[in-house]
Amino acid sequence: MVTVLGGLLILAVLAGFVGALSGLGGGVFIVPGLVILAHVPMQVAVGASLISVVATSAGASVAFVRDGWTNLRVAIILECATVTGALTGAYLAGVISQPVLELLFALVMLQSAYFSISKHGDEMLPKSDPLCERLRMGGEIPGDDGRMTTYGVRNLPGGAVLMVLAGIMSGLLGVGAGAVKVVAMDTLMKIPLKVSSATSNFMIGVTAGAGALVFLSRGDVAAVVAAPVALGVTGGALIGSRVLPHANVNSLRKLFAAILVLIAVEMGWRALAGI
Amino acid sequence: MMNQPEHYSPSSVDAEEDRILRTWTPLMLRTILIVSTIVLIAGIVATILHSPGFFIDRFHAVQKSQLHDAEGFSTLLRGSFAGDPHAIMTIGLYILTLVPLVRVAFTFVLFLKDRDYVYVAATAYVLSGLLLGMALGRIG
Repeated sequence: MVTVLGGLLILAVLAGFVGALSGLGGGVFIVPGLVILAHVPMQVAVGASLISVVATSAGASVAFVRDGWTNLRVAIILECATVTGALTGAYLAGVISQPVLELLFALVMLQSAYFSISKHGDEMLPKSDPLCERLRMGGEIPGDDGRMTTYGVRNLPGGAVLMVLAGIMSGLLGVGAGAVKVVAMDTLMKIPLKVSSATSNFMIGVTAGAGALVFLSRGDVAAVVAAPVALGVTGGALIGSRVLPHANVNSLRKLFAAILVLIAVEMGWRALAGI
Repeated sequence: MMNQPEHYSPSSVDAEEDRILRTWTPLMLRTILIVSTIVLIAGIVATILHSPGFFIDRFHAVQKSQLHDAEGFSTLLRGSFAGDPHAIMTIGLYILTLVPLVRVAFTFVLFLKDRDYVYVAATAYVLSGLLLGMALGRIG
C-alpha cells in the first residue's frame, strides 16, 4: 500500500512541479502519468486531474488577486463560453471511448509543447473596439516607468469561440487549457500578457470546477486516486513556483516541450493500438 | 515582478470594491484550501488506518473501472462521521470545488452592488453553469 500511495504522491508532486515550471499547469502531465504509469482508466485520470487543476489554480490565484492583475470583466464574459464548453466536454467524456480520449489528449499535448516554446507578443492597444468599449473591458497596468498605462481589448467574438474550445478541452481531457486561453486573450484580444496570464488563471479554476463537479456528482472521481493527486500536485506546484524565479526558464521550456512530444507520441501510439 | 503603485485598479471595478476583492478573496481561498487539505489528509490517514489491504483493494478496483456509485451529500456526511475513508476524501474534494463557486459568487455580489446588470447576468450564467454541473453529473 505504502508503495502505491507513495508512488501516486511522487507522480503528482512531479507533475505539479513541472507544470508550474513550464507554465502549462499540472493537468497536461498528471493525466498521462496516471494512464501510462499507474494504469488508471482515462476517465479516472481526467476526474483526478480536474480536481488538482482547481486546487493549483486557487493556490496561484491568491497572489494574482492580491496584486490586482486579474481583469474580472474579461474573465466573467469569457467564462460564459468556457463553462458552456466545460459542461459539454465533461458530459462527452462519459460517452467517448478511452482510445479516442487518449488520441485527443496526445494532440493537446502537442499544442501545449508548441505553446511553451513559441513567442508571445505583448502588444498593447490604447483603446478597445466598440463592443469591448461598451462592455468597459479595458483596464490599467503599471508601465515600465511605474506610471499607469491604459490598455484596450478587442475581438471578443473571436476570443469567445476559442474559449468554448478551451472549455471543451478542459471538461473532456482534465487540463486547465491555459495554453489556449492565454493565446486567445494575448494574441487575439490584445490583452497584455501578464493580465492574460492572471485572468486565465482565474478562468482555469472556474472552468475546471464546472467539469470537476460533473465528474464528482457522476461518481467518476475515484477518491483513492484523486485525494493524493490533488495534495501532491498542489505541493509540487508550490515548490515549482518557489524555484521558478531562480530557474533558466527558456532552456527548461525546451526540455519540457521535448518531454511532452515524447509522451504525446506514446499516448497517440497507445490510442491507435486500441482503436 | 513589476513594481506596482499601492492603489491601482486593474479593471473598471471601483476602488472600494477592488479593496474588498483583494482583501477577502485571498482569505477565502486560503481558508477553503486549508480546510480541504486537512479533510483530504484525514481521509488518507483513515485509509491507512482502516485495514492493511483497503487502499490496494480500492486502487485495483479503480484500475478495473469499478468505481463507487454516485452518493448524495447526506450519505457522504454520514459515512464521514462513521470514519469511512472514501466518504471523508470525497467530502474533501467537494470542499475544494467550493473555491471557484465562492469566487464567482463573490464577483456576482460585487457587480450587483455596482448595478452593472450585463455583468450580473453573465456572472449568474457562470454560477448557474457550475451548479448545473452537479445536476448534469447526476443525470449523465
